[in-house]
Amino acid sequence: MSASFAEKSVWIQLLGMAVALGLYFVVAGWMLASGITILPDFAGVFVVAVVLLVAILIGGHLVAALMGRPEPADVRDRELEGRAEGRTGWILATGVIGAIGALVVAVEPVWVAHLLLLSLYLSELARLALQLVYYRRGM
Amino acid sequence: MEPARGSVKNRIRQLRFEHGEMTQQALAERIGVSRQTVNAIEGGKYAPSLEVAFRIALVFAVPIEAVFQFDPDAK
Repeated sequence: MSASFAEKSVWIQLLGMAVALGLYFVVAGWMLASGITILPDFAGVFVVAVVLLVAILIGGHLVAALMGRPEPADVRDRELEGRAEGRTGWILATGVIGAIGALVVAVEPVWVAHLLLLSLYLSELARLALQLVYYRRGM
Repeated sequence: MEPARGSVKNRIRQLRFEHGEMTQQALAERIGVSRQTVNAIEGGKYAPSLEVAFRIALVFAVPIEAVFQFDPDAK
């Protein structure tokens, strides 16, 4: 069974997120380990990661559109996304609660920001991966 | 509480055959979904919404129960 344009889009988003933001977290982790705790110092790396993400998304969707006819998401695509989101939203919620707890115990803002960003990143990766499982295995 | 059992079976493949070997793409275009969605419904990997189910029945000009049947014993 060949993949629909919507499924290919999910693969591209997963790849883009994993690569671009994965690289950000590698660099940011290295910076944090080096003792850099001023939040604006991370902005440049983050901008580069976002530009890389956008480039992967645009390039990937262009290639997918050239390989097959682009189609809008249909009722199944939206249902798969909604169900995957419902099952992975707890990751982001856990990160938010953790960040609030970190603020209460006066953890430095740079750690709180990265905890929030990491929970968003993991939540999105999990959602996209689960969507692909639903596409392949059915639901 | 016992886990829910049963699954939705369908006769879409047979109905397409009876309607001049209608392709999945042709059916998909008539009901407003992708070919892959028709394939998933036909293969039992996706239970369609009531609206899509009615649209399919409408294309084949049969009652909805002639397209979809619920098998309560299936796991």
